[in-house]
Amino acid sequence: MVRVSYGVWDGVVRDNRGLIPVEIAPDPDLEGFEYFNDGNPIRAFIGDRGFVVFDPEVDLVDALWRHMDRAAEESCGKCTPCRVGAPLIRDALAEVRAGRGSEEGWQRIAALAHQMAETSLCYLGQSSANALLAAIEHFPEHLKPGGAPAPVDNGMSYVTAPCVEACPSKVAVPRYIDFIKDGRPDLSLGVILRKYPMAATCGRVCVRFCEMACRRNAIDEPVGIKILKRYVADQQAGLHGPIFSPDMIPTRLPDSMRVAVVGGGPAGVSCAYHLLLRGYHVDVLEAAEVAGGMARSGIPSYRLPKDVLKAETDTVEQLGGHFRFGQALGRDFTIDDLFEQGYKAVFLGLGCAKGTLLGVADEDPSLKGYFSGIDFLLEVHNHVEYGAPLALHGEVAVVGGGNVAMDCVRSALRLGASKVHLIYRRTEADMPADHEEIEAAKQEGVIFHCLTNPSRILSEDGRIVGMDLIDMRQTVPDKKGRIGVEPIPGTEHAFRCDVVVAAIGQQVDKQTLPASDGVQLDKWGCVAINPQTLVTTRMGVFAGGDCASGASTLIHAMAMGLKAARAIDDYLRHGHARFFPRTRMRRLLNENKLLSGECFEVPVAHQYRIDIPNLSPDERRRTFEEVEKPITAAEAYREAARCLRCYRVYSVVTETAVPGGTR
Amino acid sequence: MEALINGKPIAFEAGDTILTAARRVGCYIPSLCELADIDHAPGTCRVCLVEERRAGQTATHVVTACNTPMEEGIEVFTRTPKIREMQKLQTELLLADHDQDCATCVRHGNCELQDVAQFVGLQQSRFANPIWAKSRPVDRSSLSITRDMGKCIRCQRCVAVCRDVQGIDALSITERGIGTCVEIRGTLVGGESECVSCGQCVMVCPTGALAERDDTDRVIDHLYDPDIVTVFQFAPAVRVGFADSLGIDNAEGQIITALRKMGADIVIDTNFAADLVIMEEGTEVVRHIRQGKRPTFTSCCPGWVNFVEKNYPDILPHLSSARSPQQCLGSLAKTYLAEKMEIDPARMRVISIMPCTAKKDEMNRPQLAKNGVPDVDVVLTIREFARLLRREGIDLAALEPGTFDNPHLGGYSGAGAIFGTTGGVMEAAVRSAYFLINGKELPNAEVTALRSFENIRTATVAVGGGLPDVNLAICHGLKAARDVVEGVLSGKYDFDFIEVMACPGGCVTGGGHLRHKKAYQAGAPKKRVTLFDIDAQRVIRQSHNNPQIQHLYSDYLGEPMSERAHHLLHTWYTDRKKEADVAVKEIRREIRLALPKAKASERV
Repeated sequence: MVRVSYGVWDGVVRDNRGLIPVEIAPDPDLEGFEYFNDGNPIRAFIGDRGFVVFDPEVDLVDALWRHMDRAAEESCGKCTPCRVGAPLIRDALAEVRAGRGSEEGWQRIAALAHQMAETSLCYLGQSSANALLAAIEHFPEHLKPGGAPAPVDNGMSYVTAPCVEACPSKVAVPRYIDFIKDGRPDLSLGVILRKYPMAATCGRVCVRFCEMACRRNAIDEPVGIKILKRYVADQQAGLHGPIFSPDMIPTRLPDSMRVAVVGGGPAGVSCAYHLLLRGYHVDVLEAAEVAGGMARSGIPSYRLPKDVLKAETDTVEQLGGHFRFGQALGRDFTIDDLFEQGYKAVFLGLGCAKGTLLGVADEDPSLKGYFSGIDFLLEVHNHVEYGAPLALHGEVAVVGGGNVAMDCVRSALRLGASKVHLIYRRTEADMPADHEEIEAAKQEGVIFHCLTNPSRILSEDGRIVGMDLIDMRQTVPDKKGRIGVEPIPGTEHAFRCDVVVAAIGQQVDKQTLPASDGVQLDKWGCVAINPQTLVTTRMGVFAGGDCASGASTLIHAMAMGLKAARAIDDYLRHGHARFFPRTRMRRLLNENKLLSGECFEVPVAHQYRIDIPNLSPDERRRTFEEVEKPITAAEAYREAARCLRCYRVYSVVTETAVPGGTR
Repeated sequence: MEALINGKPIAFEAGDTILTAARRVGCYIPSLCELADIDHAPGTCRVCLVEERRAGQTATHVVTACNTPMEEGIEVFTRTPKIREMQKLQTELLLADHDQDCATCVRHGNCELQDVAQFVGLQQSRFANPIWAKSRPVDRSSLSITRDMGKCIRCQRCVAVCRDVQGIDALSITERGIGTCVEIRGTLVGGESECVSCGQCVMVCPTGALAERDDTDRVIDHLYDPDIVTVFQFAPAVRVGFADSLGIDNAEGQIITALRKMGADIVIDTNFAADLVIMEEGTEVVRHIRQGKRPTFTSCCPGWVNFVEKNYPDILPHLSSARSPQQCLGSLAKTYLAEKMEIDPARMRVISIMPCTAKKDEMNRPQLAKNGVPDVDVVLTIREFARLLRREGIDLAALEPGTFDNPHLGGYSGAGAIFGTTGGVMEAAVRSAYFLINGKELPNAEVTALRSFENIRTATVAVGGGLPDVNLAICHGLKAARDVVEGVLSGKYDFDFIEVMACPGGCVTGGGHLRHKKAYQAGAPKKRVTLFDIDAQRVIRQSHNNPQIQHLYSDYLGEPMSERAHHLLHTWYTDRKKEADVAVKEIRREIRLALPKAKASERV
């Protein structure tokens, strides 16, 4: 537990000066503030809501100067008080720090800090001087140059925003929106490409944790972050597409530095991309004949046109990597084979290729008319792309409430089912699928049956003829407030249908990983990994994406690809897992929920987000053409202008130098 | 809905900001970046501070009036000591990184920043740091517009007008912090960019950051060089350009007198050349209609010509080959006029006074020169002309109006006069084309069907002579022009003849007019009306009936589109479209430079 000497947070003053550390009650609200990295205590912390000093010997002027230095550097330069105020404050603090402070100087600093906090346009300017203002108000006696300022390395500053922290890949969302506002879509795309190569794909199918965290939610609607991403990716598509070439790799490693990536889905492509950029020689082994994994076979082309995806998976080859298609782990090669072939490390991005059974009576996957969700989508994909036969007749019932279930119902409609039903055991509000997907399915004519669950599969002569369904009801909330569902006895009834699609989940195909590979699965059937390093139970073998996390999202898979590339780089070139100060800072922010709890005290004009142009429900029921249409430049500028730019600076002062840099 | 401003109850409307509501009741709040005429309120200057208290709350908050919405029961205070102090400090901060060499500034005495500094009562500038202002670039690469970023206050009005009004999007914002400024996007070697030099950005700049390239020195040099014969011409819209500042609706006579007073040797009228262009272009259009070649676009607007060359080279064959009036007149001055007046053309300097910044760049087109000598030597915008008057100590308003007196190039019809406003070229062309086809005059010279003001207007006209009805279109503002071109290319539109003027409103709102503070296109409707009035008062309303035009053809040119006319009055265009490849390597390098200083590669 950490003990606060003095500070102000959210306007609450804490003052334990005069007490010796053992007398100070440990602060239960501050978790993980003891050490920044191993053996390096945090002496002070400064954020948007105030500051806390743990070590009373800290030179507060020095600490505030660093904080304002970072704010000044980060200022976008558009609004006056932040552009000019931040460097003026920084320079004035530098004067004090050098022993040239004066009463008049402090009055000036205070006036500038007030001006910045009260009149800046975005949250960066509004929040950066808050700690300084609190210190001036409550602890002026500490605002004299103390001992020698700490070396700059002893601490770090981190700039972030709620949308950035919410994103698994930590894409600098306000930054790429800034570049759109500035009229530089090329640089905007570049910001996204720092994290993954699949910007146009993500701009179409991402589940948008960023938008959920968007502070505009408290005003009107979140910024259309996803559509802006698609805008910049599409802007730079086709003839004007981004040109990747091996000459953009800063340092090529020796030929022996070879890594095998197993699986050419989002996790594998992302991992390969980042390994290639780090100079490794990368081969991607893919069971299918095309790259893309679940993004290819699991997402219908009306949401993600296949040429868009292919242009982005091709990046691997443009950077000098190679795809080896038709190579399935467990069938065509083993992990031992890979090491024997000279690969120094292996990344497993196998995905979850096997659908989960419903687990009801008389369920037999070999029945005609029975599909798992992902098998169904794969058949749809093969039908649409390659003309493989897939004749759907009669009524289709899809069980499940996630995005895969939505993809299944919407695809079934397009393939000519006479009626399409969605069976879900909870309420519509409980569905994990995207709200937009649910709405689109309803508009297109899918019939929803919520609080209903199958209890038996009905078949005749080896083909599906229906299911027994049972009605469900919500239970009373348990102690944690969770509401479950339970069957209502006696409500079983027969439901006639010709096709049943079980879209309730996917798992790792256990046949790909025989015990002899030395890669163990965990109790949920996923590849067991160390969550920090993504290393599996076998040395040199790393795993990420759905096979390690269970069926999840594209953005999670791509984030794990990047994380694995870093871990493999650490393993092969550094021999140990390196300390990443920003990752550490994120954990500190996350564990203490430091980004939450802001509200808007002043009126803010409502500006509703742009409507994304869509094919009409009538048109789209008949086609696999992309439903969402691109937005115009004028619309992109308008949407980008809605971003409130919720940047804020967090700084720590530490005892010794922080390994891995000051930012 | 009701609220209080400074304790007085006021009514406001849905969608009002504090600033719009306050303005409506006559309550002044200083503002700088905001420009209502183009619906621009980026909230960057932070000068329009007020205090507000929401209904039911006790605390007040400081907000910017320009982008804070009014709400029921809100109390707004605009003149509290705190607000006055904060507005003053904000202005001081604005000046801190602003080049304050005001006496030499092109905007001296007409600057919105100076006004704000006076309003807030600023008497000092404690934070001024000249190095900050000097750290930003001065761009003199353009032939028409200079951009001094040391004077930029980051209001982004120029960016907004270029994007939203003109649809060109040639500007982008670059750098960060104190270095933040506006640049021309993707500038290539040789100054090629998407900029078409229309100068609408200059018209909205609140300070001296944007200005025309100043060529008054060159004119003074020519005026006081005894070996030089100066030939001045001025455009249709120039004579109405002083309506607001001097209250003279039509200053034609005063301008003539002023030029003579300065020592101009020959003063001729661009209106005459407008008549000439109608003869050439009208003949060309009728020929195209007879050949079934459609559509034909006008070519008298150099901003439009730049736009086509840079964006739609495919339609260049459809641009009329007729030169613009100022270039026709320059060409004739150094040939016909020189011959008639027995002046060595090498001694001649043709100086145009234009409502336009793009004309400054047009005169440099290599195809508008003879043996490397440009037909027009200097183009002054109206602003430079006004500066020239000040430099020569001439008060335009105090002058007795003079008249044109050149016997060779002069005199104009009503058709020539209306070239300066949207629809004017089309109307003039219709008058003459009708005569050309039918051998008789259009019954009513005023084609009112063409006189509305929408950005895109169309009309179908029966021209007789056994020809099918012709479809005409008029558009002004490049956003509308883009729509029309896209429509023509996609087959949505089917027109025979299309008039395009790059500036919204035509030359009466050109980028070379005098600037107004806090207003875009102030006085433009009045200027348009004056041009139509001039037309209405002319005895001769049609270009082909201008006796001096008739004489020019019989004496020198032969007939429209003759060999000689082709040589002197027509031109050609070039494909200047640039296709940029996007190398990710380059993007990554640029982002590293754009991000906060060192170690950017390690950062998000």
